[in-house]
Parts: sequence; C-alpha cells; structure tokens
Amino acid sequence: MNLVVNGKNTDISDSMTVTELLAKEDVKMPQMVSVELNGQILKRSEFETTRLKDDDKVEFLYYMGGGTCL
Amino acid sequence: MKADTLAIHGGFAGDSGSGASAVPICQTVSYAHNTAQALADAFAGRSPGYIYTRIANPTTTALESRLTELEDGIGCVATSSGMAAVASAVMALVKAGDEIIAAAGIFGGTVSLFENTLRRFGVVTNFVDAADTSNLQDALNEKTKLIFIETIGNPRMDVPDIPAIAELAHKAGIPLVVDNTVTTPVVFRPGKFGADIVVHSTSKFINGHGTAIGGAIIDAGNYNWREGPFDQIRKLSQKVGQLAFLWYLRNVIYRDLGGCPAPMNSFLMLQGLETLPPRMAKHCENAERLAQFLQSHPNVSWVNYPGLKTSEFHDRVIKLFTGRAGGLLTFGLGDKEKAFEFIDSLRLAKNLANLGDAKTLVLHPASTIFGEFDAHELGSMGVTPDMVRVSVGIEDFEDIKADFEQAIERAFKEKK
Repeated sequence: MNLVVNGKNTDISDSMTVTELLAKEDVKMPQMVSVELNGQILKRSEFETTRLKDDDKVEFLYYMGGGTCL
Repeated sequence: MKADTLAIHGGFAGDSGSGASAVPICQTVSYAHNTAQALADAFAGRSPGYIYTRIANPTTTALESRLTELEDGIGCVATSSGMAAVASAVMALVKAGDEIIAAAGIFGGTVSLFENTLRRFGVVTNFVDAADTSNLQDALNEKTKLIFIETIGNPRMDVPDIPAIAELAHKAGIPLVVDNTVTTPVVFRPGKFGADIVVHSTSKFINGHGTAIGGAIIDAGNYNWREGPFDQIRKLSQKVGQLAFLWYLRNVIYRDLGGCPAPMNSFLMLQGLETLPPRMAKHCENAERLAQFLQSHPNVSWVNYPGLKTSEFHDRVIKLFTGRAGGLLTFGLGDKEKAFEFIDSLRLAKNLANLGDAKTLVLHPASTIFGEFDAHELGSMGVTPDMVRVSVGIEDFEDIKADFEQAIERAFKEKK
C-alpha cells in the first residue's frame, strides 16, 4: 500500500493508524506535530482511530517554527 | 476521553526522563542545539525544535496541548494574559481599513482594545446588541473581517445565538472569534457550534485560584484558511495547510509582540485545569442558587443570570450549555450608594477585579473595570450604576447566602 508522506511515496505493508505511522516514521517532537490527512488537520484524539488507506496524503506539520518565514 | 479525564491527563503523559507525573517547569529562556546547522534548521522552520521561550516552551506546550484537547481544536497558542490572547488573535487577522463586529456588553478591556487602541491603527469596530443576530447581519459590510462575541457577555450576561452567528460569519466568508472565558470548555465548546477561534483569559476559572495571569487562543479547525480575505494567512496555507492561522499567529504576531506566558504560570494553569470540571459544577450550582435567593429578596431590584428560568436567555443556556450557566451573575440594589454599602458590608466575599476564583468575588463594574466609559457608553454595554457583579465561588452555599443576606440588610439599614 502506498502513502504520500510529506510529498514522498512511502510503501507500507499493512494498513496502519496515524499513531503507528508517527512511530514508524520516527517523527521529531511527536508531542508537537500536527497531522494533515488529505488536506484536513486531524484532531489529536483521532490519531489512534484513523486508519490510513492506499494513496492517502499525509503531512507532518509544526506551528512552533523558529524566527523566519517558511 | 471525556473532559474530566482530559483536564487531568491531556497534553502530558509523564516525563519520560525522570518519571515526574506533574508537568516539569522548564524555567529557561533558550535551548541549546548540538550543532550550528541544527539551530539554523530550527530557525528556518526546516526542523521542529525549541529556540526561545518567547516563541515556545515545553511547559507551555503541555498547557497548549491540554487546552487543544479540551476545546477539541487543532492547536493552541498560550499567552501572557487574556488581553494578549484577544489582541494577538485579532491582530493576526485585521489591518488598517478593516472592520470588526463585536457584541456590546463584553469585557471592558476588550472594548477598550477595539474602541481605542485598534482604532488608532485604522481598524474600526461596530458594537451591536448580539442577543439579536439580525443586528450583526445589519452591521456586516465588505470591510468586516471578523465577528467577536463572548459566550456569556461580561457583565451584560447576554447569551448570543452562537450557531446562528457562526452561520452568518461563514456566509460572509469571515471567522467567528468567541471568548469562552466565562463558560470554559467544561461547560461549552464553541467549536462544536461553529466558532472558528476560541480565546480565553486563563487567569479566571482555568487557573481557578487567582494565582497567575494568562490567556490562550485555540483554532477550532472550522475555518478554511486556504480561502478567506487574509492574504498573509492564505499564502501560508499553501505550505502549512490548515495550520496557517496558528503558524502566522505564533511565528509573526506572537513573536513580534512578545506576549508569551512565564513557564511557572503555564504550570499553574495546568494545575488549575486538573480540578476545573468539579469546580465548574460547583460554581454553576452555587451561582444558580444565589441568583434564585437574590431574585426572591425584597430589597434586590433585579438579578441577571442566564440560568434563571425567567431569563430571556434560558432556552439558549439549555440548548448550548446543557443547562449550566456559569458562575457569574449581576444584580442591582437600586442605586450606586446601596451597591457600595453592600460591598463594604461583605465579610466573606472579596471586593476585587477578577472572576473565576474559588473564592466568591464582587465588583462594582461602573466605577472600576468600566470606569473609563461615560454614562451613554455604559448604558449601551448594559452597565448600570447600581450593578454589582458576583463571581460565585465554591464555598458552602449557606455561608455565601448568609454573607449576602447580612450585607444587603446592612446596606438598607444604614440608609434609614
């Protein structure tokens, strides 16, 4: 199954939840990350219950950046 | 998880290093990075990481996460005060030439910000009676960039039809900003009823003990920042999607204005949140009983508490707040002199400018927090000379009642 994670194609063997994907991708500062799934921000309470599907687009986003604009 | 559980466990699962079960207070200004490149990446936004407490702090992050979960939003920025929250949220959205529609009868500090400070920067606010949604509809024009209301107007004690106002705002393509200080997410989650941005003075019920000043801004996740009339945020949304408002807020407005909370204060807010649900239940219960007592008292001219069955807002309290109308009420004793004599005669309740404390607090709004406004302005905001505002505490109700009873008696006895 293919996911697009932060713009890159990522193969995963089985369907997984967002929480599981965060662990697999070893995201930095998981307590700070926001997850956008197919253009919509997920509530944190949805991380464990949202199961990813083939071709889903996932973005890991942060709003605690530094001092300059992106 | 339910609110009672989130208030205790939300945003913090324990410190993995030490095992500390309370959120550690990260009393630091800045954060060391192992390499020059790592710090450069953090500054450029290429990599997440703490840089400087004016922008983010781990203790404050825990508070922001807990508030996000309690409001069921998509993110939060905690601030140094409630006014810093209101000012930052609004200044992230408006520019010179824009207009705001705000409810009349909201907190005097917010009125002053809109009417005086923002007006100096070319932003005009139209204050309307928000109890009737058609007044907001009539005030809308192409310059309007946001609508600002409180869940229960302080001290007007009116309850706007929040779902209808949200619908009105969204039809106009603008966000609805709601101050949820008086109700807290335990009683009401504005985002569930269409609000886009929720602001708080966390100094009040969330802190709960009068020990720290703070505020918060939560994006409820309802507004589509990829559209809308905010060029600076729409442009950002191409890179950070629906986080664009929060990103702009934190990395531009908040960074530039410097309204960050002290880590110690964030800790005190987290501690306050843990007992917020049972405290709010008791605040609401005591306030309703005190309102009923005052309403039946022969020397009390009027009582304004939306939880009273006689209130014109009672149906909205049932619909929006599941019957709980918060811990704030106002009442009148006929004139300013009797109001002053009543306040001077209280033995238990404290006379001070705050609300949401565990202690019962009173205030004469017209001569204090609304003292800068003239009689006409006070009238339009629903502030009368005889008004006493009460933040009903969580003491035993019979003790609160006895204190009010003796103070009313003394206020009227001394006039004879």
